[in-house]
Amino acid sequence: MKAKVGVYVCECGPNIASKVDLDRILETLPALDEYREIELVVKKYGLLCSADGKNYLEEEIKSNGFTHLVLGACSPRDHNKTFIGVCKKTDLNPYLYKIINIREHCAWIIPDKEKATEKAISYLRGGINRVLYQSSLFEKQLDIDPDVVVIGGGIAGIETALSLAGEKRNIYLIEKSGKIGGKSSRFSSLLPRQGKGLALIEEKIEKVSANPFIKVFLESSLESIIGFLGNFEIVVKSKNGNTDIKAGAIVVASGYGLIDPLSSESHSYSESDDVYTSLEIEEMLKEHGKIMTKSGKEPASVALVHCVGREEKGYCSRICCNYMIKIARYLKDQSDAIKVTEFHKGLCMPDKGDQSFHKAMAERGVEFRRIQKITQDGTKISFTGMDGSPGNADFDMVILAPAIVPSEDTDSLAELLEIPVSETGFFQEMHQTTDPVATSIDGIFVVGAAHSPKGITDSIFFAQAAAGRILTHLIPGEKIVPEVKVTEVLEAFCTGCQNCLDVCVYGAISYDESKGVSVVNEVVCRGCGNCFGSCPSGALRTKHFTNPQLYQEVREAIR
Amino acid sequence: MDKKVKKEFDPKIVGFLCNWCTYAAADLAGSSKMEISPALSVVRVMCSSRVDHNLVLTTFFNGADGILIAGCHPGDCHYGEGNYYARRRYALLKKVTESLGLESERLQLTWISASEGNRYAEVVNSFTEKIAKLGPSPINCRSDL
Ligand SMILES: Cc1cc2nc3c(=O)[nH]c(=O)nc-3n(C[C@H](O)[C@H](O)[C@H](O)COP(=O)(O)OP(=O)(O)OC[C@H]3O[C@@H](n4cnc5c(N)ncnc54)[C@H](O)[C@@H]3O)c2cc1C
Ligand code: SF4
Ligand code: SF4
Ligand code: FES
Repeated sequence: MKAKVGVYVCECGPNIASKVDLDRILETLPALDEYREIELVVKKYGLLCSADGKNYLEEEIKSNGFTHLVLGACSPRDHNKTFIGVCKKTDLNPYLYKIINIREHCAWIIPDKEKATEKAISYLRGGINRVLYQSSLFEKQLDIDPDVVVIGGGIAGIETALSLAGEKRNIYLIEKSGKIGGKSSRFSSLLPRQGKGLALIEEKIEKVSANPFIKVFLESSLESIIGFLGNFEIVVKSKNGNTDIKAGAIVVASGYGLIDPLSSESHSYSESDDVYTSLEIEEMLKEHGKIMTKSGKEPASVALVHCVGREEKGYCSRICCNYMIKIARYLKDQSDAIKVTEFHKGLCMPDKGDQSFHKAMAERGVEFRRIQKITQDGTKISFTGMDGSPGNADFDMVILAPAIVPSEDTDSLAELLEIPVSETGFFQEMHQTTDPVATSIDGIFVVGAAHSPKGITDSIFFAQAAAGRILTHLIPGEKIVPEVKVTEVLEAFCTGCQNCLDVCVYGAISYDESKGVSVVNEVVCRGCGNCFGSCPSGALRTKHFTNPQLYQEVREAIR
Repeated sequence: MDKKVKKEFDPKIVGFLCNWCTYAAADLAGSSKMEISPALSVVRVMCSSRVDHNLVLTTFFNGADGILIAGCHPGDCHYGEGNYYARRRYALLKKVTESLGLESERLQLTWISASEGNRYAEVVNSFTEKIAKLGPSPINCRSDL
């Protein structure tokens, strides 16, 4: 069949028409020798994106029976979707159309009208040649499962579950330990700015148990996972066997751990010493209601040492300064006579309310001592002050704030889920600034302290953000349309070298042992085209951006 | 042919621009009505990593005087790490183009974010000037693209 290409240039009001000679385009294009073999209809129109314009275009496509369509208009970033929508109302496959940006790339940047017109003609010729090389692509509609699996039942996991659970969405909360609540439920109180504090957390835990749409798996773990956004298949391993679950999204909320202080050269102590980690103090208080030495006495002097292991780790743990002041308050509340000294290397007080808490505790007699260096041997502490002068002191009790590190299962979870970890060892987000809750796998999110050291408030922010993303992307009853401009493997050319597998950050490519070739999962592929350049055999083809298609544009560019 | 005899040399430059950053910067430069050299023709790709060796070399073989590849800043690639791959391929391509007798400056990779319309205009205009000074590409074995 002879190709019949419709070319419509848009005046865009005066935007294009005053800067590009559209009539010259109308004369020039049909007269070109190279289009002898095809039928070319070239017209101009006032505002193609207006309601009238869209109707006009639809009628033109239908009545002319175009095989291909080229629009000379604005940026595809503005109106590509608009005109894809128009094509969809006709028999013309939207991937046989192309918009050519003669506004931003000609009219607005080339003051000389003649030159701008020449450039527009050049771009349009590239576009006409390109569409002739384009192929129809067909969108697939995929059913989705709106259910969500949450890994980790700390405050981050709990908040995610509560934000998402409902009539049409079940949540499966997988918790490794025997109860939900995570570390926050082991504390005796929260920070003053956190208001109702612990009661609030307990309420949330109760709400989870009472919610009929949340199923909690205790003493359980993720056994395996396959699939993609909307269609994950998960196996949960519990004491009494495995459970198969289908879900549309996964939220990782596996929390954090504390570095072992003894791994730092500056700290040494044995079990018989009155040296505790911050978490051990929280637990002691929760269990016994009092902070006591091993011999059962109230300590007369306590040193609180900040930033243990910070140098080794290379990052600030963000929350310790605050909770160490909270521990100072426990001590002062217990007895004003206890002498409390906080050794810190500069206080991190990022949230509103933090600074006034610090001030209040300083007024209650807590000594805040900024130091350069510290070594601790049992309850003996030696330090270098800010002025370089050395000092040492012995205390009845030493409490350490060990650096927050990724929870122990981070690496194994990362491997199962095929998501990366960053150089700090925490799960890597898609983008630290613009996409902090997503991961490189569509449909897998990371929240709470599993993402990076975080207090409860920030953990809740993250949980709600991830829930928001899921609520807008996985709507019960709606289908999702995966990217169609994806990469395919031409099996006849693939040698099975598997170069491409390493290149794809989305893990969209796998190797088919039986056929000896690689396979792209079209639902997972985003069509970036990165793998294309990694294939030594020319076996890959990124649809809609194939080399023959791009060469058509290149040819006109260098004519 | 006559291109080389002409007194004033109008370079032919192809700009492979990443859809998410540099293409958007080009749009911004356009809507800010900056004057930009028409020597460069924009070819939109989804990510700088899509620009493979074949595309670059074929473009040079067919007579491009310069090629600009531009994408998102390191760490900002829409697809995570594409631009790191682009950078590695670029390092290799620089060597290949040199070995073909092309000045390596004819190939340039740069990062321009969506908000850097100004920088887009500057990069394109100064690249055009640079290529104009270098003169026409010594390679032209126009194949049938
Ligand atoms: C001493 C101390 C005091 C603190 N005081 C405060 C305070 O006053 N205010 C404040 O805002 N913050 C405080 N914090 C910080 C607070 O603990 C964290 O912000 C919070 O616990 C983060 O919640 P999370 O759910 O991300 O992680 P976690 O509380 O660590 O919960 C993670 C959960 O995931 C589970 N899990 C781990 N791995 C797996 C797996 N593979 N499969 C299934 N489940 C898994 C764990 O068992 C746990 O239940 C304090 C921290 C410490 C150390
Ligand atoms: S790089 Fe190319 S040849 Fe190698 S496995 Fe992937 S598709 Fe096959
Ligand atoms: S085009 Fe990108 S997302 Fe698709 S398989 Fe290749 S590298 Fe992966
Ligand atoms: S998306 Fe812009 S460089 Fe990858």
